[in-house]
Amino acid sequence: MNASYLPSLPFQLSYALLFGVLLVAGMLGGELARYFRLPRIIGYVLVGFVFAPLTSAMGLGLLIDEARIFVELALGLVLFDLGRRMDLKWMRRDWSLAVTGIAQCGLTFAAVFYTLLAFDLPSIQAGIAAAIAMTTSPAVLLLIVHDTRAEGQVTERALNIAALNGLLASIIVTILLGSTHYVARTDVESAILHPAYLFVGSVLLGAAMAWAARVIARAVERDREVHFTLVAGLVVAGVGLAQELKLPVILALLAFGLFSRNDERGYELLNVNLAPVGRLLYIVLFVITGASMPLPMLLTGGAVAFAYVAARFAGTVLGVMAVAPLGGLRTRQAIGLSLALLPMSSIALLLTHDIARLYPAFERDLAPIVVGAIIVMEVVGPIAVQIGLRIAGDTVPEPEGSLEAPRAA
Amino acid sequence: MVLNTRDYNLARGAADILPRLAKMGLPGEVKPEITESMIEINSSVNKTYDGLRRELMQVRDGIVATAERLNLAVAGGGSHPFHRWHERRIYPTERFKRVSALYGYLAKQFTVFGQHIHVGVTSGDDAVYLTHRLAPYIPHFIALSASSPFYQGEETSFETSRLHAVSAFPLSGQMPAVHSWAEFNEFFDEMKGYGIVESMKDFYWDIRPKPEYGTIEVRICDTPLTVVRAAQIAAYIQTLCAHLLRVRRTEPVEPMYRVYGYNRFQACRFGFDGNLVDPYTRAPMRLREDLMASLTRIAPDAEAMGTREALAALDRIAKTEANDTRWLRERYAETKSLNDVVRLQSEKWSGTAAAKD
Repeated sequence: MNASYLPSLPFQLSYALLFGVLLVAGMLGGELARYFRLPRIIGYVLVGFVFAPLTSAMGLGLLIDEARIFVELALGLVLFDLGRRMDLKWMRRDWSLAVTGIAQCGLTFAAVFYTLLAFDLPSIQAGIAAAIAMTTSPAVLLLIVHDTRAEGQVTERALNIAALNGLLASIIVTILLGSTHYVARTDVESAILHPAYLFVGSVLLGAAMAWAARVIARAVERDREVHFTLVAGLVVAGVGLAQELKLPVILALLAFGLFSRNDERGYELLNVNLAPVGRLLYIVLFVITGASMPLPMLLTGGAVAFAYVAARFAGTVLGVMAVAPLGGLRTRQAIGLSLALLPMSSIALLLTHDIARLYPAFERDLAPIVVGAIIVMEVVGPIAVQIGLRIAGDTVPEPEGSLEAPRAA
Repeated sequence: MVLNTRDYNLARGAADILPRLAKMGLPGEVKPEITESMIEINSSVNKTYDGLRRELMQVRDGIVATAERLNLAVAGGGSHPFHRWHERRIYPTERFKRVSALYGYLAKQFTVFGQHIHVGVTSGDDAVYLTHRLAPYIPHFIALSASSPFYQGEETSFETSRLHAVSAFPLSGQMPAVHSWAEFNEFFDEMKGYGIVESMKDFYWDIRPKPEYGTIEVRICDTPLTVVRAAQIAAYIQTLCAHLLRVRRTEPVEPMYRVYGYNRFQACRFGFDGNLVDPYTRAPMRLREDLMASLTRIAPDAEAMGTREALAALDRIAKTEANDTRWLRERYAETKSLNDVVRLQSEKWSGTAAAKD
């Protein structure tokens, strides 16, 4: 009897099955976190933490690595959304916004850099780790903004600064990588040309995608659903193209978002809400991020990782508190803003991965510290954002009004 | 209305704009309203159209500059074309929290934008007289100021959809047919005795006396898309009051209130094409003709008050039916996007667009 129509054991975990399982498990984790009044993200990440040893016990570790495509897609979407939120015109009108971002980056970089030097790390490694420390996780920020329906000056400023520090960090890391080429005495050409290719290539790709979006948008009906499909499709394609061209997804998609927003001539492209598709990808993003965290690294990183977290915290808070009030933010808003900039997650992880791929030698020095810090911040960060946005008054207040009739006076 | 510059939905911004504005020393006052996406602009007391127009433009420029630094935009218009009322947040003052607790969802739905025009009067009796005698002109004010054809993302087919948000309140409507200030006070004391109202603020009438200021207050108008139009409409009402005080009409008021609701509806729905009923002549007439006749009638008063230019502008609008609702509909036909309509609306209010008026 030929039984080939029956499934063969053991199961192969296909992409479809994996995606579905991650999604439902993540959702359940998120709801559990909410039950304890914690941000859902913590639930997603914790599910990932649990998932990792499970999959490796089942011999499925590799598949998680292959599922990175979901991560890149999700990050592409996040960065596109962030780029769309970044408003260069605003930065020109209110100097305090960009300066707050620069102060946050500068002080964070300095604090982390000198802390790591004190722990005897070589200066290039310390510089790269400090640049990574400047970034705010846009995924955490955007998702909590969405979940708490936060709205207001602090929310908008945090998102703009997150875009700015992501951009600055990518540039600095790229430059530092160039200098490692030089130190490694490969050749001067790749020391300059490689970073230049990464940077210019990403910006050009982003601009080309935005141009394409506009051309197609002009040709089709101005309809929300049509434009939604257009944007979602181009974001996915943009991620694929960036990979194909060996360009950083972060920079390319950030540039795509930025160019599709900051266009003063036409308004052809509708500002569609990507949240519906975003939510699904976000959940998978955080579960996989959690799953790809080697928890034991927290022990290897140890004291340095905690010093890194502390220095980053100090730099961010000082930088924001020093400048933001000059732009007219109230004290509560400034505190809220500095807390909202704290999360550290996938961008930092991606930067670390990129570096480790190019220079495996760095992995030994850097990964325990940065990944250790990320593990801590995966839990602390979302809580900080939630508290920050609440302190600032940007989250939805407790329900107003009651169902009962007011008592007669 | 306070908007974000991303998709031009309403934004929380009043609490950030107001303290910054307070430092600028602008004339009049800018105040919070029931939800955080609204600011209320109070002019100082102005005797002339020209003075009011200049002052409003000055205040507008201050507001636009402040909002820009916060990455917010500001626009006129009677309602926001596509916001969802449940997303609004109550401005956190004691009074607004109380109103919200009492009225439930009506409070957030009250995120609509009206222009209130105060006209000073010398006696309480004159206030009662004008409150009644302005009532037949209510359709004119509606048609001239109408700027809310879209509501919650839909074309309403009305020239103004804002007034329905007002009608939902139990104390909306008109002043009862009292004939003197003494009678009015009797009525007010009775209502206060019942515990229904505490102050005049609790009446949401279309026109009401405002004894604290020594004025009558016309509350029917949508906020126009430009401050210049707002000043023109104020000039019409001011001139009309001067005219009515000069000619002193004596017909009984009751028949007029019998047709009031019908005429008001015609204006809200059809604007200048509305069919009005005159209870005294019993003749039907078009709102447009009635308005133009009124402008001609008060022309001598306009000469004396320096409002001729303003009334000429309104006359042109009546002839061409180019009110703000029409402008909004045309922009929507062009752009097919309400987000773009609001963007253009905010540019028009800011005076940055090459606004053809």
